[in-house]
Amino acid sequence: MTNQTRPKVGIFGLTSCAGDQLQILNCEDELLRLVGRIDIVDWVMAKSGNDHTCRLDIAFVEGVVATERDLETLRQVRARTSFLVALGTCAVWGGLPAMRNDLPREVLEREVFSKVVDHLDTVEARPATDFVPVEYRLPGCPIERHEFLQLVDSLLAGTVPELPAVPVCFECKTRENLCRVIYFDDVCCGAMTRGGCGARCPSHGVACAGCRGPIEEPNYDANVQMFAARGITWREIATRMSNFSAPVWMTYGLRSEAHHDDH
Amino acid sequence: MTTTRTISIPHLGRVEGHGGIFVKVVDQTVSEVNMDIHEGSRYYEALLVGKHFLEVQGIITRVCAICSANHTVTALQALESALGIPQSPRVHTLRGLMLQGAAIESHALHVFALALPDFLGFDSVMTMAAKYPDEVAAALRLKQLGNKVQALIGGRAVHPINTLVGGFGKVPSHRDLERLRGELAAGIDVAMSFVRLAATIPGPDFAARPTVFVALRPYDDRYRFRGNSICTSTGEEVPVASYRDIVREFTVEHSHAKHSALASGSTYQVGSLARLALWGDRLEGRAREAFQMLLPNGVVDNVLYNNWAQLVEIVFGLEAGVEACDELLGMDEVAREQAEYTVRAGRGVSATEVPRGTLFHEYEIDDDGLVLAANVITPTAQNLANTERDLRHATERLLAAGGVNDAQLRLNLEMIARAYDPCISCSVHVVRVN
Repeated sequence: MTNQTRPKVGIFGLTSCAGDQLQILNCEDELLRLVGRIDIVDWVMAKSGNDHTCRLDIAFVEGVVATERDLETLRQVRARTSFLVALGTCAVWGGLPAMRNDLPREVLEREVFSKVVDHLDTVEARPATDFVPVEYRLPGCPIERHEFLQLVDSLLAGTVPELPAVPVCFECKTRENLCRVIYFDDVCCGAMTRGGCGARCPSHGVACAGCRGPIEEPNYDANVQMFAARGITWREIATRMSNFSAPVWMTYGLRSEAHHDDH
Repeated sequence: MTTTRTISIPHLGRVEGHGGIFVKVVDQTVSEVNMDIHEGSRYYEALLVGKHFLEVQGIITRVCAICSANHTVTALQALESALGIPQSPRVHTLRGLMLQGAAIESHALHVFALALPDFLGFDSVMTMAAKYPDEVAAALRLKQLGNKVQALIGGRAVHPINTLVGGFGKVPSHRDLERLRGELAAGIDVAMSFVRLAATIPGPDFAARPTVFVALRPYDDRYRFRGNSICTSTGEEVPVASYRDIVREFTVEHSHAKHSALASGSTYQVGSLARLALWGDRLEGRAREAFQMLLPNGVVDNVLYNNWAQLVEIVFGLEAGVEACDELLGMDEVAREQAEYTVRAGRGVSATEVPRGTLFHEYEIDDDGLVLAANVITPTAQNLANTERDLRHATERLLAAGGVNDAQLRLNLEMIARAYDPCISCSVHVVRVN
């Protein structure tokens, strides 16, 4: 392929830990192969001499919108891009920075944020997907390298990959791990979280924290009931389930139950 | 008539996060120098309040990806200090190895992919790879090796999941450690070849300025990344638990990150060059050789040499990694390690030397193990005030020499900022409105 036919690509970070961009850099050998096939014209983290205005065939955006400047960047990127990818759980769901946005504050703030809650109201971090339409959502905190490479290869072939439709729980079973809920009474988010990580955390003897965001149609209430039936307090269930992507995790049911527990 | 010249770099490239440089010169006098940090705030410390201490690591590691292993180790040590949990020799060694993996990865990324293109006249490592494919591939393999260390011990290269208060979910097998040991040992010669290459590149002196260095005193008489007291090159020393006595944070209007100075008011530098300045004479083996080749007259007060200091620490990290593998291979093979402890209220402080300098974490927890308060001070935040001093000094010096055009001035200022290897995500997590 010549320079003329290589698609022009931009990679951008809004407010974030830069972990998804780092995962792209962590592709190391593959990265050198990739730059022969795509033309990365705008990537502030990795190069100088960037073109901030040209049309982009593909753009990847990581992070949450936490400042006006973030929003401006996001809108500019959207306007110049044909195929926009929300990269990582922050961009797709809001991730950890959005944790506080949808916490059932009326229930938990007295215990949880008693001294600082006034300050927290001043900033609300929201996912990129709340502000602009995107063509693809690649979750993960951080993204899985193989999923990123698969996405780029697919785009070059004129298609898009399908994300795993099964939850982490399914992958965990295939690895024959001891269940973190049944054997250890953990609040494990594996049954509600999109697979693709190979059940990395439970395979290390650690409960799933839900970092890849929810699978389609997760049954939150059944999970919550299951944890509660094992004697775990509503409060603990709520704080552990709300670590990632609070807006999606926190169902009305959990909120009202937590409220009962509190009184 | 007044003439005003401004140098503005809105998006500083090849650094982690969003920052810029703004310099204003009025009549040949530098009137304003700002390192602008416009990354948004994420209020991590406030997010931790009310969380159980077992959730702290998974949250605080996400302050920054490149530094995730470092935040992890520092947070766990601070929590264990609050709970009175001693570190077993295995846990201590595994964490030490993970810190070296993080340093190898971070230093390799910075030296080869972010800084070196400036010295060799490229705009990125990707264009550099077109001319030097073998060298770039070898450099990326070193970076990959750092990631392998972190993945083996932390469960993955970014945002570790295997690291627990009082232990590890899964302890690496001897077979995996033997393989890792072999790869680390083989990396030493590769790293030394870059040391020889770097020794041929002249170091510009536009950034030279008398500097105060700060680093932890190692916990024993060797070169280490962990220690219990903070030392300055001006002879001050305080225990880590009293870090607030020596590190004074203050806010500035142009930055979302706080700045730091010593209690005396002096700005200071932390990071590889600071560690070499204070403890470089303790280096052994090939790392000592690398130090002598790259800084034959010892550490000089010029931040551009921080790039070479990081290269020395890559060699050190590989050697220390081999040593740590040997220690672990000398212990019994176990599947998991978890210290027994009882939850109690307490306050704990921990500091570690991480790629960019000294990192402080402090937590206070209540009787139920819930976090009451958290405080994190990152190396980049500590370096910002010193970076601005360096930028001011270099601008004055370059203007005094005369004939410098804006493009040249801009590149030289960028090189200074990049030499600190600023990690902007880290630096801004910390703004608290109280």
